[in-house]
Amino acid sequence: MWGIYLEQLLQSLPFFLKGLWMTVAVSGLSLLLGTAVGFLWGIVRASRRRILKALIGAWVDVIRGTPFLVQIFILFFILPEFGVHLEAFPAAVIALSNLAACFICEIVSSGIESVPHGQREAAVSSGLNGYQQLRHVILPQALRVILPPLVGQYVLLIKDSSVVSAIGVMDVTRAGWLTVQRIPQGILVFGLVGLLYFAICYPLIQISGALEKRLGRSSRR
Amino acid sequence: MIEFRDVHKWFGDLHVLKGIRLRVAAGEVLVVCGPSGSGKSTLIRTINRLEPIQKGELIVDGMKVHDPRTPMTKLRAEIGFVFQQFNLYPHMTALENVTLAPIKVRRMPRREAEALGKEVLAKVGLADKLHQYPAQLSGGQQQRVAIARGLCMHPKIMLFDEPTSALDPEMINEVLEVMRALAREGMTMIVVTHEMGFAREVAHRVAFMDYGELIEIAPPEEFFARPQSERTRLFLSKILTH
Ligand SMILES: Nc1ncnc2c1ncn2[C@@H]1O[C@H](COP(=O)(O)OP(=O)(O)O)[C@@H](O)[C@H]1O
Ligand SMILES: [Mg+2]
Repeated sequence: MWGIYLEQLLQSLPFFLKGLWMTVAVSGLSLLLGTAVGFLWGIVRASRRRILKALIGAWVDVIRGTPFLVQIFILFFILPEFGVHLEAFPAAVIALSNLAACFICEIVSSGIESVPHGQREAAVSSGLNGYQQLRHVILPQALRVILPPLVGQYVLLIKDSSVVSAIGVMDVTRAGWLTVQRIPQGILVFGLVGLLYFAICYPLIQISGALEKRLGRSSRR
Repeated sequence: MIEFRDVHKWFGDLHVLKGIRLRVAAGEVLVVCGPSGSGKSTLIRTINRLEPIQKGELIVDGMKVHDPRTPMTKLRAEIGFVFQQFNLYPHMTALENVTLAPIKVRRMPRREAEALGKEVLAKVGLADKLHQYPAQLSGGQQQRVAIARGLCMHPKIMLFDEPTSALDPEMINEVLEVMRALAREGMTMIVVTHEMGFAREVAHRVAFMDYGELIEIAPPEEFFARPQSERTRLFLSKILTH
């Protein structure tokens, strides 16, 4: 009996691979956008712009304090009632990018704050402007602290991307849902789904661990 | 070159500078001493506005540092600042440390900046340490790189905040030697230090600071032989006897 199901599963492999491609597209795009926005927010959050800082802080708290599923439902099902219609794919990318930005913002700002204060004072004193201080003195040192948890966060976000299947995005998780209607062997179907996520995440886990070791060892302060 | 006109500074409720009046001429070497917490660091940190002041006027190289509208980056490039804890950039070699500001602030071509950096590092006795990272250098060597970092900007003023306090005793002299040479060349310098031998030898004037006030300021012969204030006498007897 398992043999038949296995064969059916193998036949739907192209379907799963399409789902995998969608998962990669949604997460990849969102991580890219989320990293850019997250660095920007994190830099502001570690600065002295009080109002902007407080605004970002409040937004991050709201996003971190509510389920991702609810956020994505609001974006997809509730915004249309106010006249804003989004396709499933852009809705998914916006929601996941925002989630990513919120987590990355916190990682980046605490990384920047871990750089000893004297570093900025030395940079300021030598006449570097704000951008130059950040670019040449603060960020290179902060990155040592930022990179390992950043890559770790990528893994969590890729797994969180499975939630976008709830609004109909054809990712691996949704491919699993649809397949299990035909092949009632859930363990087989979702075993495959899990394996595909693992295949993307495992290398990242390894990279994060390696970064942690290397940057930890060569940290000079 | 530097003029404090009744300068006041508060940290919250704490009155840290209480009506400072002081003029430092071009080419002058001023040593500032005083007990810990008396406001010496704050005093020299106001000069490049690492600490803004709340009252009074502060004119540096013709610029109104007390005026929040005065842009500071340009003036800061003319003022070298040497910290007690060196504050070298740990991710850069000695040469990279000293050439960063010339390249980025002065827009000097890299080659030219590196030639300059090598020359200045050689001058402070570190010609063989160009490509070492700060962590590979001793405290005395790090502080000399920090001085070189300031000098590479061809500053008009050099400020030193207890430059030898974090050093092992056997390294103090190599740093003071560099500072002596600088003083002989006519650099305008304010040095916060308790190295009274250095003060006697190179300072044009020595100032004593206590509780946010400049209590006494005089040429070293006078300052050490005939201190006017009781507090100065007490302080000197404490640091000169041990
Ligand atoms: N950033 C700061 N915030 C609050 N208080 C400060 C700050 N920096 C210095 N102080 C206080 O100001 C006073 C003078 O400090 P400082 O100028 O560092 O003295 P000194 O260099 O003579 O030891 C001290 O009482 C110190 O605790
Ligand atoms: Mg001090």
